Amino acid sequence: MRGTDYVVKRVFFAVVTVFVAVTLNFILFRTLSGDAVSALRCRQCTPQFKAYERKQLGLDQSKLKQYWLYVDNLAHGDLGRSLRTQEPVWSTLWDPLKNTMPMVILGTLFSIVFGVITGVMCAWRRGTGTDKAGLWGSLAFYSMPPQWLGLMIVLFVAGALGLPTSGIKDPTLGILSTPSTWTVIVDRLRHMVLPALTLGLVLYGEYTLIVRSSMLETLGEDYVLTARAKGLSNWATVWKHGLRNAMLPVITLVALSLGFIIGGAITIEYVFSYPGIGLEIVEAIDQRDYPILQGAFLLLTFSVIFFNLAADLLYFKLDPRVTE
Amino acid sequence: MSGLLEVEDLHVWFDLPHQRELHVVQGVSFGVDRGERLGLVGESGCGKTTTILALMGLLPPTASVAGRVMLDGEDVLTRGERSLAPRRWKDVSMVFQGAMNAFNPVRRVGEQLVEPMELHGIAGGQMAERRAGELLERVGIPAARARSYPHEFSGGMRQRAAIAMALACNPKLLLADEPTTALDVMVQAQILELLIALANDLGLALILVTHDLPVVAQTCTAAAVMYAGEIVETGPMDALYHGPKHPYTRLLFAATPDLESRDVVVSIPGAPPRLDEAIAGCPFRPRCDRAISRCGVERPRLLQVGHDHEAACHVAERATEPLASGGAGLAGEA
Amino acid sequence: MTAVEQVSEVPAPRARVPRLRRVLESPVFATKQSLAGLIILVLFVLVALIGPLFIHGDVREKVGPVFAPPSSKFWLGTDGGGADMVKLLVMGARVSLLVGFAAAAVSALIGGVIGLLSGFVGGKTDIVLMRITDYVLVIPDIPLMIVVAALFGRSLTNIILIIGVIYWTSTARLLRAQTKSIRERVYVQRARALGASNTRLMLRHVLPQLTPLLIANTVLLIAYAIFAETFITFLGLGDPSVVSWGRLIENAFTDDAILNNAWWAIVPPGVCVTIVVLACTMMGQALEDSFNPRLRSGHLSVRRFRLRPVPPPREVE
Repeated sequence: MRGTDYVVKRVFFAVVTVFVAVTLNFILFRTLSGDAVSALRCRQCTPQFKAYERKQLGLDQSKLKQYWLYVDNLAHGDLGRSLRTQEPVWSTLWDPLKNTMPMVILGTLFSIVFGVITGVMCAWRRGTGTDKAGLWGSLAFYSMPPQWLGLMIVLFVAGALGLPTSGIKDPTLGILSTPSTWTVIVDRLRHMVLPALTLGLVLYGEYTLIVRSSMLETLGEDYVLTARAKGLSNWATVWKHGLRNAMLPVITLVALSLGFIIGGAITIEYVFSYPGIGLEIVEAIDQRDYPILQGAFLLLTFSVIFFNLAADLLYFKLDPRVTE
Repeated sequence: MSGLLEVEDLHVWFDLPHQRELHVVQGVSFGVDRGERLGLVGESGCGKTTTILALMGLLPPTASVAGRVMLDGEDVLTRGERSLAPRRWKDVSMVFQGAMNAFNPVRRVGEQLVEPMELHGIAGGQMAERRAGELLERVGIPAARARSYPHEFSGGMRQRAAIAMALACNPKLLLADEPTTALDVMVQAQILELLIALANDLGLALILVTHDLPVVAQTCTAAAVMYAGEIVETGPMDALYHGPKHPYTRLLFAATPDLESRDVVVSIPGAPPRLDEAIAGCPFRPRCDRAISRCGVERPRLLQVGHDHEAACHVAERATEPLASGGAGLAGEA
Repeated sequence: MTAVEQVSEVPAPRARVPRLRRVLESPVFATKQSLAGLIILVLFVLVALIGPLFIHGDVREKVGPVFAPPSSKFWLGTDGGGADMVKLLVMGARVSLLVGFAAAAVSALIGGVIGLLSGFVGGKTDIVLMRITDYVLVIPDIPLMIVVAALFGRSLTNIILIIGVIYWTSTARLLRAQTKSIRERVYVQRARALGASNTRLMLRHVLPQLTPLLIANTVLLIAYAIFAETFITFLGLGDPSVVSWGRLIENAFTDDAILNNAWWAIVPPGVCVTIVVLACTMMGQALEDSFNPRLRSGHLSVRRFRLRPVPPPREVE
């Protein structure tokens, strides 16, 4: 199969990065912040209790042993327990994550669509007013802090559109009668739109830039001239030859932006009180619930690594020139 | 004279910053008949590529054009895109300079051959694919390679594939821009022979643009020599080869030591004039070894200097010295 | 004549052109955008430096009613604590810009050193450094920032360091590529043949050529840093003793400015951040663009070539 070693290389890289992330996580939390137990505050948390707990959790052993223990736990899916609720970190994070995923996906879709449309438009009408307006507009949005944009949207737009600005569901739903699945879905979507829109607006600028320059470069290529020489219309040339080639960098960009997407999502969820993993993180920060933070960081890092790998492989599949 | 292609007084300008212009093609006229092979010769920058791009209406928006381009009697320039687009590839097709890049790297070669066929309704689906395979075979590439991607072909193969692609819709006229530059010697010879064979077999008219004299001498039945945007000499290959009248043509042939050695770079001391300023007198004068006083004052026009043979030179008007040149065979009539 | 002498076809770095002319020719003034960016940035820096001189006492003191709308007394109204928005913005400018410049400097330093070393020395050092860069790149920046900020405490210095240590990768990559190409240039080879040590080569010959690109990249880093600061502060991890634009946005949120319809507490700090980040981005992009080859003209566009009448034949004397 073509390029098996490319695939192997990429997967290997991903795995190594996972280990680096895990180790980094460990170093940050265990070695430098004091261990989880000393931060415990509860009525029965006397020094003796803490010593006992330490022993239980293996915190009295050497750092290296702790590391292996940590990795071993991870491999079994054990991310530790929340300091506040004593619930397993994994289950505490899983529910909010289920809320965040669709919102982030929707937001990314918005940004890709906005970005591609403006990028193509700018490239098509290069040098004209449309080009400049498109660029400036997208750059302006890109320069806005997501939380601030969220606040602005709540302030000026939400009311006009009649969309809810907090939570993920209408609390009155289901009180008087069981709502249909459709109603529930619509309700969820309505709550998701504004946060996703904010995310989309903040991110699309980068896509516009990339699509535009990629498109310009593609349009200057000889095979585009050939296509026109064959008699294809402007539109057909763009669609059949320009777009596909110009889109390749977009895929890479999505992967590279993931870190930023997640980060932006965190602050946006805070603003919209959207019960996702971002909000969970904020609360954990507030309460100094380090295991949750640690677990969330790992989770987010893993997903970014995973999507990077997926993008690499996708790009590989789409561009036959990549063999490395 | 009515022929397949008649170009009358073609001018092309390119916009420059600060309201200036580059007068790249300055009143070029020529014609090609079915089965004829015309060579368009000159140094880089003399306007030959721009000329043939203009024939297909493929100039960028910074260009302005004047003149007439008659394809089968119809003026395609003034009729505009609506008249040009359906003719592209069907009546006139092109093999670009550096055909390496003429192919879209992310699609298979066969697909790209099929594309114009389907676009112009020549063939579709399976039939088109079969035809693509046949075209490839004709240029010496196994039909099975239609499934390959462009980067999997060697340079020479890509050039041949580009020729095959250009023939996809049975054009009447093929424009070939430097089809053999950047190819090694052996491959060059193959490509040229291929072009001649195709022209003969298919009754194809060919315009071959190049700066490489031996290529033209071998392949073409007639030639037009361009300098600084103008045609300075034109006529049957024989006449040009044995009796060039314009000093530039003479120097071109003389600067090439031997037809056998593929010395691609033709070098004459000096450089071509700038095209953004008006020139007094003959543009070749600074580099000419035969200039007379009249050359600095009056622009020479294309005048008859032999049968079907024209040259734009004051000196040629008077002189009739033949120039003997030995060398290998020329391309004669079919 | 030795072989080394003969090699000098390529000119060495520019001769001593009068400094002012050099400055005026620099790419910053090339496009209107980058010039505008520069002017805006300079304006903000001036305000940040000079403004606080006119402000006495603690900016956060209550001097008027809570969330008072803009009036002739308070041009931008008051915030949730009754403090003057204008004064808050000016003080905030100082801190935000400070964080921006300082963090960018840290990033530039780290990235520059790594990039220079990596590109110049090559070999194993290069491979190792680039591997490290790759790993750091994949780890998401904002979660990492948040986590480290949550762990390490909330002082301004810490925040500057955190931002600086996370964003050096782009600089490193850029400078490495540029160093590699410069290293092969003739005058460097010549200096090396004449016996210059590696350090000397790096400092005197390579570094000056890197400076323009480094500046272009650093300007973009400033934008990132100011941006990142707003993130950190918004999540409550900022330095509680200073006022920054990020903090103003956070305050507006936690003080429920929206419920009070107090747009004047929300809009201005964000506008300031947006403008400064935009200015830096435009400037940085323009600078970086000037170092890249121009994009070729497209074969596709809405307008086609134009037709015009045939010019009259040239006069014959």
